Amino acid sequence: MLSTGNDIVSLNAINVTCTKQPNFYSKILTPTETALYKQSRFANIPFEVFVWLLWSIKESAFKFLQRIDADILFTPVKFVVSDVQIPFGFTLSGFEAIKLTGIGFNGIPTIRSTVKFGDHILYSSSLIYQEFISTVVNGAEDFSRTHWGIKWIDSDDTEIQSAEVRAFLIDNLKDNISISIGKNPLGIPVLLKNNQELTIPVSLSHHEYYIAYSFQL
Amino acid sequence: MTRQEILNELKKVISPYTTNKEMLAQINEDTDLLKDLKINSANLVDIIIDAEAKYDIEIDYDEADKMMNVGSCIDVISEKIGQKQ
Repeated sequence: MLSTGNDIVSLNAINVTCTKQPNFYSKILTPTETALYKQSRFANIPFEVFVWLLWSIKESAFKFLQRIDADILFTPVKFVVSDVQIPFGFTLSGFEAIKLTGIGFNGIPTIRSTVKFGDHILYSSSLIYQEFISTVVNGAEDFSRTHWGIKWIDSDDTEIQSAEVRAFLIDNLKDNISISIGKNPLGIPVLLKNNQELTIPVSLSHHEYYIAYSFQL
Repeated sequence: MTRQEILNELKKVISPYTTNKEMLAQINEDTDLLKDLKINSANLVDIIIDAEAKYDIEIDYDEADKMMNVGSCIDVISEKIGQKQ
């Protein structure tokens, strides 16, 4: 089934001290994932960023699967992240933009991984800057039909964020005449054209001053 | 502790993570943490950790994943307090 899931974590909004406490990160990471961090390829990624990277991968995978199985519950330690691939020479840099959109991630340095939940195997691509982590999860390794966008907004009000992320997504649809975003009976966002649900899966997220979307064609 | 007492304390735990103070004032067992109180999912772990500290209990994520509305939070907390006694 066609689906998509995304998540954005504002790194300014996280509690670094708290994240480093075992009673906190053990609710997100499995012991195997915690052990992954000891590998040298993570040397340029602070531990708290690693924890929230895995959170964003797991949350995105949850949102992807929620569209397929509405009864699924978000238990981070049951979403197992592996095969984390970090671009050679990766370092955290500043975002230095207001917004960024794309189709697929060719030519963009992303952190990739595989995430498993039960029998489901999904794939993630994450963009990490000093300000945020933005992840998109897809059902295949090929992200060439995955559309995504990230934007800084000047309000951390949840109602405004919610309206802004919807407007941002609609602005970036090729054909957006009479398009709106609603929710299906399960509370999952859906694209509507003249109030009829379209088959294009969408995912929306916001955290502090950042908003992000993904949709899959 | 009665369910009402747990709810009153839970309100204080949740308060720093919601800007929807109007809904927080009217909190009841059916209130959904994400949909009604507009709590960001990234803060759910904070709430669990704060609740653990407040009630001196340990909540693993198998239990925490049920804590989507106030009633289910009270169920989990109440059960954990019961196990301590």
